[in-house]
Amino acid sequence: MKVVIAGAGSVGRYMAQQLRDGGHSVTLVDNDPGVASRWNKPGAFEGISWHIGDACEVDTLAAVGTGDADVVAAVTGDDEDNLVVSLLAKQEFAVPRVVARVNNPNNEWMFNDMWGVDVSVSTPHLLTGLVEEAVTIGSFVRLLSLEGGRARLAEVTLASTSPAIGVEIAQLGLPRESTVVALLRGGHVVVPRGDTTLHEGDEVLVLVTGDAEDDVRRQLVG
Amino acid sequence: MGLLRGRRAADDQAAEAVDQAAGAVDAVASTAIAAVVPRRRVQVVGEVTRMRAQPTSGLPALAVTLSDGTGTVVAVWTGRRAIGGITLGRRLLLDGVPRRVGDRLELVNPAYTLLDR
Repeated sequence: MKVVIAGAGSVGRYMAQQLRDGGHSVTLVDNDPGVASRWNKPGAFEGISWHIGDACEVDTLAAVGTGDADVVAAVTGDDEDNLVVSLLAKQEFAVPRVVARVNNPNNEWMFNDMWGVDVSVSTPHLLTGLVEEAVTIGSFVRLLSLEGGRARLAEVTLASTSPAIGVEIAQLGLPRESTVVALLRGGHVVVPRGDTTLHEGDEVLVLVTGDAEDDVRRQLVG
Repeated sequence: MGLLRGRRAADDQAAEAVDQAAGAVDAVASTAIAAVVPRRRVQVVGEVTRMRAQPTSGLPALAVTLSDGTGTVVAVWTGRRAIGGITLGRRLLLDGVPRRVGDRLELVNPAYTLLDR
C-alpha cells in the first residue's frame, strides 16, 4: 500500500515506522524543517520518504503522490489541519481511505464524510474506552467509531452473570446489524464461528451499526 | 493552493468560452463519461437526469446524476441541499476527480459551470 502521513510528530513518525516495517510505501509530510533534521537520522527512518511542506496545500499533496495513494492519514496535532488534509485528499485526489486523528474530543462530530474522513481516531475517547475496559467486567465498552460513527467496534468482557455464557454464538440471537468479530480467551484470539460457545471472562469484540447496540448489550451484558 | 487556483482559472476560461460560443460546448475540452478513469481529473459535460438530497452522517448533501449518453457520473456536493441553477435537464460542465463507489462514478464537490441548453 502507498500511504501518505500528514504530521511527523510522535504519532506520525511511529505510524510511518510501523507501516514501513509492514512492507508499505510511506511518505511523511511536515511543514517544519526542524522536525526532519531532528528525527530523520540514518537508520531509524530508512525507506521512509520525508517531505517538507504544508499538507494543507493541494500542491504539496500532489507532489508527494497523493493521486495514487491508497491511504492518507492526517495525524497532526491540529484538528483544523487534519480536517483540511482529509477534505483535500478526498475531494482533490479521491483517496479511497482517509484516516484522521481527533485531538480535541469536542471536534469529533466534524470528522465524518462531509470532511472526507472515513475513519476517525480520537485518542481521548480511545483512552477512556481502554480505562473503562480495564476497570469494568461485564459492561459494554465502545472502542472505535467507523464509517463516520455509523458503525462501532465495542468490547464486552463476559461477567459470570452474563446471559451469553455457555451459549453458542449462533444461538445468541444477536441482531442483524451486528457481528462478533473476535474473541479473546486466555490471551489468545479465537476466530468466532456460529458454534463457538462463550465462556466467562471471554472478551467479545463486536461490530455494531446503528440502533443494534442496545440489543447487543442486552444479549451479552444482561 | 496553486492547483486549486489553476482549476478556478480553468473554470473561468471555460465559462467565458461557453459564454462566447453561446452554448457551443465544443469549445471545452471534455471527456466522454464512458472514458472517465477513476482518480484522474476530468471535465465532463452532460445533462442532469436525477437530483437527490442525500444526507450523509446526518448532514445535508446533494447528489446530482449527470448523463452524456455514454454513461453517468454522480456529483455529490456536501453541506448543501440545492444549488442555484442546477435543475433537472440542465446541461453542466463538471470538473473534478472521480472515484468509484460501488458501481457508480462519483465526483466529490466538483467545480461546475452552468451551460446553455
